[in-house]
Formats: sequence, structure tokens, C-alpha cells
Amino acid sequence: MMRRLLAACALLAGLSGCALAPVQPWEKGELARTDMLLQGDSLETRFDEHIYTSKEAAAGGSAVGGGGCGCN
Amino acid sequence: MENKSQNGVPAGQALLAAALLLPGIGTVHAETPPERGSVGVKYLYYKEDQPGLDRVRVHAPAVSVLAPIAGEWSVAASATVDDVSGASPRYHTAISGASHMDDLRKAGDVTVTRYLPRGTVSVSAAYSTEHDYVSRALSLQGTMSSEDKNTTWNFGLGGSDDSINPVNRIVQDAGRQTVSVLAGVTRVLTPVDVGQFTLTHTQGHGYYSDPYKLVDNRPDSRRQDTALLQWNHRFIALGATSRLSYRFYRDSYGINAHTLGAEWVQGLGDGWSVTPAMRLYTQRAADFYFDPVYDGRLGEPFPPGYVFGSTQASSADQRLSGFGAVTLGVKLAKQLNHDWAMDLKIERYEQRGAWRLFGTGSPGLAPMRAVSLQLGVTRQW
Repeated sequence: MMRRLLAACALLAGLSGCALAPVQPWEKGELARTDMLLQGDSLETRFDEHIYTSKEAAAGGSAVGGGGCGCN
Repeated sequence: MENKSQNGVPAGQALLAAALLLPGIGTVHAETPPERGSVGVKYLYYKEDQPGLDRVRVHAPAVSVLAPIAGEWSVAASATVDDVSGASPRYHTAISGASHMDDLRKAGDVTVTRYLPRGTVSVSAAYSTEHDYVSRALSLQGTMSSEDKNTTWNFGLGGSDDSINPVNRIVQDAGRQTVSVLAGVTRVLTPVDVGQFTLTHTQGHGYYSDPYKLVDNRPDSRRQDTALLQWNHRFIALGATSRLSYRFYRDSYGINAHTLGAEWVQGLGDGWSVTPAMRLYTQRAADFYFDPVYDGRLGEPFPPGYVFGSTQASSADQRLSGFGAVTLGVKLAKQLNHDWAMDLKIERYEQRGAWRLFGTGSPGLAPMRAVSLQLGVTRQW
């Protein structure tokens, strides 16, 4: 378990330190668009996740703390 | 055009609108407190069927509210009511005449977020209730950005406490508890690329079996791991954005699953956008799932060699079989004016054993199909 945790931390640290040219604040206009956000409409996301949770074994991935249901 | 969203509103307003709709965690953009409040209403219609059989219908209205407080706080809340009716399989794809169900699920959640100069801290609580099931969940989430705001670390810790009281009284006050941890990183890669990588681990114990399915006896603990990779890219010349995601999932049931998602957000001008989307999913069967081959002496639904009273794990739940699934959908959105927006999404889903990738799917199961429709309205103030 501890080994997996350390490996996960090392992976995340490696990704966050990717040697890319830093994007300057004045270059972030496109990134501010709604369609560039990594998470979409909260109600839509909840509906989608609830539907898939009721039909498939895999669930979650982007957040923690959601309530369960008797559908699965 | 560079500073305009696909709806023709200034990018700053687009950012604000997006932040208002995102009470959750994990976005590189949602670290400034919202300046305007918002309320969203969404209605879901969902219908599921198998050949010759209507299975489940769901009508679900939902509402969400987000209110900024004192410039450094926000409160987000949502509530939904799922009206579910239909029939669920008792084993594999078999339906009994007595299996008709009609249930009302009520769910709500609230999130309080504190905005800091280089991060956020959020506390969330969720509650849902059905006639035979109650779920409570709490979580703590945080984000922390680098000085140049190009890298954001995401952390989360959550727990849930569920209880089930099935009407057939197979168990009473059976509980299930889970603890989940999340760690992720969001990275601005270029002026038109942003990516996110998130790992989650969930450890649970308690009652995992389905009390309404025959011969269903699942392990009383479950470990689940996910790795999620997301990448958004802006095509300025085309006025479009691609949104790609891949999730790997595995659990202690022996299930491995891959999920690939792709969306193309195409601006059409005058506040309109259209988003075709596709999702591919494949999963390996649980170690204790058994194919629809039954014991020669006991018959259906007992697996070969079944012993009454045995504690050996077994399940004929189609959701634990090996299969693949495809979702195709399209979303149409319209920014009506500075305050109002509407959207409509239609999706079609189908899963089949033969569509499993990286291996052979489970045999003998009827395809499952579903259609869903979501209609939403958002108002900011």
C-alpha cells in the first residue's frame, strides 16, 4: 500500500514538473472559456455518473464524497 | 475572436459563468470566488430496455444553487428527485412478473468553499434516501496552485455511510462504509491545452450484495482504484474545442475497466453551440460472476455445483459481467443573454457482451439499451 502511494505521488510530481514553457497570464484567454474547463455542468455530471453507476461496475475517478444509491 | 467564448460573450464572463457552475473540486480555473450567484434547473428523462422488454424509466428534476459570500466564500447546493419505475433482472437478464418496482429517490448535497490566494478548501455533505436505502457522505477537498498558476494540485478525502433495509427482509439495517482519497494535478500545458491527471482509491466494507437478486453473495469488502486523464484542446481557427478523457479502473472483485470519452464543442455563432460526444467503455467480469450455465440438478438460477448455505461469492448480475458499451450523444446549447442559458442533451447507450475489448465478453446476455434526455436552464444574478 505504502509503495503504491509513493509511486502515485512520484507520478503526480513528475507530471506537474513537466518541462514546458510556462504559459503567461496574458496568454490564458482561451483557457478561460467554459468549454475548456475540465469539469462541466455539475447537474449534468451528476446525472451522467448516476446513470453509469447503475449500469456498469466502474465508477468515480474525478471526485470523492458523492452519496451512494441502492441502484448498484 | 481570441477573447470571446463560443457564445460570443467575453472570456472573462465565460470564466465567471463556468466558475459559478462548478462547486466541485479539481479545476484549474475555479479558484477565484464567484462574483455572481446562479441557479440551474435540469430535467432528466431516462428509459432502459432489452429486446422485447421495457426495463426502467426515470423522471428526475434537479436544481442547483451557488451563492458567493463576502468575496472569499461560496455555498453550493443541489437537490434532485428520481422517480424510478420498471423492472430489474433477478439474475442475468431474467425478469420475474413480481419484480416490478416503483421508487422515489431524494438526494441533496451542500458544499462550502473558502477561497485563498493560491488555493481552495471545500467541505461537502451529501444525503440521499430511498424506500429501502439511505446514504450519507462527507468530504474535504483542497486545491493548491503554483505561483504562476500553471499547476494546481488537487486533494480530497471522503467517507460514506450507507444503510439498506430491503423489503424482502433478507437483511435488516445492513451497513456499508467507504473511505476515499484523491490526489491529482492540473497543468496548463500551452495557451490552448490544459490537462489533468487524477488518482483515487476507495476502501469499503459492509453489505455489497444485491438483496433482490437470486444467488447474489458478494465479498463484504471492496477496494477500488481509478486513474483519470483529461485533456482539453482549443482549435482557435475552427472555433471548436476537443475534450478527451481516459479512465482506468480496477477493483478487488477482479474487474478491470477502460473508459474513453470524446467531445467536440463547436461554436455556431449567435450564442449557439453543438457538442457531439462519444463514450467507449469495456470491463472484465468479476471473479465471482458466473455465466448463464446452470446446475443440472437445481436448474436456474443456480451455478453448477451450487451448495445451499455456502459463503462462496457468486453473482449473476449483468453489471458484473464482461461487456463493452457505446454511448453516442449530442448537446445543443444556447446563451440567451447575459443572464440566461439553455441546453438540451440526447444520448443513446448500448452494452453487449460481444463488445468487450481486450478479451472475451460474457456470453448469453441480452443487449441492454438506454436513451436519455436532459433539458437545462441556468440563470445568473
